[in-house]
Amino acid sequence: MQLEIDGEARGFCCHGCAAAAEWIRQSELGDYYRLRSVAATRVEDMPDLSGWDRDDLLSEHAVPTAGGLEMTLLTDGMCCAACAWLIDRALQREPGVFDTSANAVTGRIRIGWDPSRVRLSHVLERLAMLGYRPYLATGAARERERVAEQRRWLMRLGVAGLGAMQTMMFSEALYLDFGHHMAGATRDFFRWVALLVATPVVFYAGWPFLQGCWRELRQRHPGMDTLIAGSTLLAYVASLVETVRGGAQVWFDAATMFVFLLLTARLLEQRARRIASAQVDALARARPTLAVRECADGKRESIPVTSLQVGDIACVAVGDVVPADGCLLDGAASFEEALLTGEARPVTRAQGATIYAGTICRENPARIRITQTGSTTRLSQLARLVEQAQAQRPRLARMADRIGSVFVSVLLVMAVIIYGSWRLHDPARAFEVTLSLLVVSCPCALSLAVPAALAASHGALARMGVLSIRAGGLEHLAHATDMVFDKTGTLTSVQRQVGEVHTFDGMSSEVAMQIAAALERDSRHPIAQAFADIDTPLAAHDVRAVTGHGVMGKIDGVTWRLGRASFAGRRDDDGQLWLGDGHRVAARFRLQESLRADAADAIAALRALGVVIHLASGDASSSVQRLVRQLRLGEAHSRQSSEDKLALVRALQAKGRVVAMVGDGLNDAPVLAGADVSIAMGEGASLAQRAADMVLTSPSLLRIPAAIRLARQTQRVIRQNFAWAVGYNLLALPLAMTGHVTPAVAAFGMAASSLIVTVNALRLMRVSAVGASP
Amino acid sequence: MIILLMLVPLSLMLLAFAIGAFIWAVRRGQFDDMDTPALDILSDDTSPPAQQGTRDRQASVHVD
Repeated sequence: MQLEIDGEARGFCCHGCAAAAEWIRQSELGDYYRLRSVAATRVEDMPDLSGWDRDDLLSEHAVPTAGGLEMTLLTDGMCCAACAWLIDRALQREPGVFDTSANAVTGRIRIGWDPSRVRLSHVLERLAMLGYRPYLATGAARERERVAEQRRWLMRLGVAGLGAMQTMMFSEALYLDFGHHMAGATRDFFRWVALLVATPVVFYAGWPFLQGCWRELRQRHPGMDTLIAGSTLLAYVASLVETVRGGAQVWFDAATMFVFLLLTARLLEQRARRIASAQVDALARARPTLAVRECADGKRESIPVTSLQVGDIACVAVGDVVPADGCLLDGAASFEEALLTGEARPVTRAQGATIYAGTICRENPARIRITQTGSTTRLSQLARLVEQAQAQRPRLARMADRIGSVFVSVLLVMAVIIYGSWRLHDPARAFEVTLSLLVVSCPCALSLAVPAALAASHGALARMGVLSIRAGGLEHLAHATDMVFDKTGTLTSVQRQVGEVHTFDGMSSEVAMQIAAALERDSRHPIAQAFADIDTPLAAHDVRAVTGHGVMGKIDGVTWRLGRASFAGRRDDDGQLWLGDGHRVAARFRLQESLRADAADAIAALRALGVVIHLASGDASSSVQRLVRQLRLGEAHSRQSSEDKLALVRALQAKGRVVAMVGDGLNDAPVLAGADVSIAMGEGASLAQRAADMVLTSPSLLRIPAAIRLARQTQRVIRQNFAWAVGYNLLALPLAMTGHVTPAVAAFGMAASSLIVTVNALRLMRVSAVGASP
Repeated sequence: MIILLMLVPLSLMLLAFAIGAFIWAVRRGQFDDMDTPALDILSDDTSPPAQQGTRDRQASVHVD
């Protein structure tokens, strides 16, 4: 497929991509190609978008604004800021569209359009033509809530930052009064002003900590939030009391700085994770939203999936997703069940067979009588299983929690003892010393040590093409000693290729390949992909697909059949692909799954990192053995069910190994959730991605060893940070206990130590930028 | 030290103004997308003048 662009012939993979590029050139949006940093995805066939104009859909998902309606929708395929730029420009050119904004980070597009001038489906067709397929977001209300939440955090940070700086200024004036020459009235004036500024910082900006503290106390499980909120409130309330009664010392600066620094750390960590999960979420939620129902009089209507009822007849077009569980009417049809089983090859289902929601219809359109809808479908049940598996936290995480809460409890008890003993020794300084102790020991650097390093490495990971969805995944990845691969779609790519060609009756293998390629050229069947790369001068006419058997068509007056042996040449079926004229066979093709190009390198790199490789595949032992030979793998298990794989993981875990699992299908989802750390391939089923700790957005397996290297480096930085923070605390604690540290010095020491920890963590971003280019 | 009675409230007013400006910017969605707007400046705006009217309208509608 060639097209001339700017006087230069360029190759395209399909008509869809060429049409998109042609349109971009004609619209003078060619800057897109200069701006983009990531190659675009392939333009799929145009989906049917007429359902987007339905009133019931618009009333739920669009909100009226001045001039028309506004809607937020999700899309896949937005990979860098240039994509968002292109979408913005392209949609603004559509007449009747008055507002668009696309966000590449969250994969969301907001469109404002005038329904009287343009239909939404028309606007979305332009989007789909460029390769960005629209999906319904979670509804207008939830979308607004998501944006509002994000903005609330930012506002908290702004208030905390500005407020903390000002409080520091006023406190500085008080600190600089070494000789106590300041008049009492002036001093009190400064204190009241500081109180005024500190109040919103503690109660508005610090609200998440107060809330977290309340939650932890109610669950009788004191953690970091209890300590943060406890010392902040203690410093604030004590300062308030001192201000009112004109005492010796106030600590507003300590309280506000504390809130600001911790809020920054938390925001950094949250942001990194949100960016990662937003992209995965977008795909996971993209279930079919519309179904085509056949009415009693034979007419068809497009309705939202939610209004589909048991007993209805749903029509599923080729390439569409089955909306609900049901039984197949009419003749046989084939379905791709990748979402449910991870098996990319379509399976043929006979009349009356149960078809599950989430499978994709292939080859011929099908009619299905609905038996289960909504939450009772198998897909929803599996999704719930995955969620349950996720709810069980790994042992290490629970231990870290316990240690944290013990540390906090011990510290609080210690503070009480110190306060008591100072009361006996020097009542005037008892409170100040206790507060210094709390501020100094409050694990600010300790609490920053992990999030700062994690935020930095999450950012580096995302640039590398690895999205870390769940907290703790990185830690386990660094300690991983064993890696279990699932064969289908992880070590091999889904696309198949022609391996060995055997010809009969003097036909050359080149001619046989050309004939096959001509027959399969316009076929949607996955087998056709195997022939997609072959150039053929031949053209086939009257091509017809015979479901379950193969394709037939005329080339130069000769009718050729490509498919099962019984179909192509009256031989016994042997599972291979045959070419013939219906009576005699001419060629036999052996199709094999192609090994990913970088599988061998990735395995070698993983071995070099000291990781033991296991292979647990659901496939037959012969194909597994071939893979073992090709990659020289040690341990391989074939014909593994989901339970077997989980048992293998559990057995390894019982031996004290830390298991990382790489998989893709939904039947792997329980295993993914059960392993210490799990990685899903980006092109796998979206539900499996939700169960995984990490998702590879690019199909390159080399990202896995790179991610492990980064994870180990992150652990090193975290250890350094911990060593610094603990060392600082060990030094500062005795000094604070013996009353050698004032709260201000404690706050300063804490801030300096936090800064050092953060800068150390930021090194991760720089280092991994080098390792990120594969 | 009487000057403090003027300077300190002045600084407080500046603080209130800064916080107000920040909240205004956040509410207007200035921080929602930190990547895409940076690209706008890199390309010459070739949109026809007819679009200008809709751009202005967009600015007035954009209040979420």
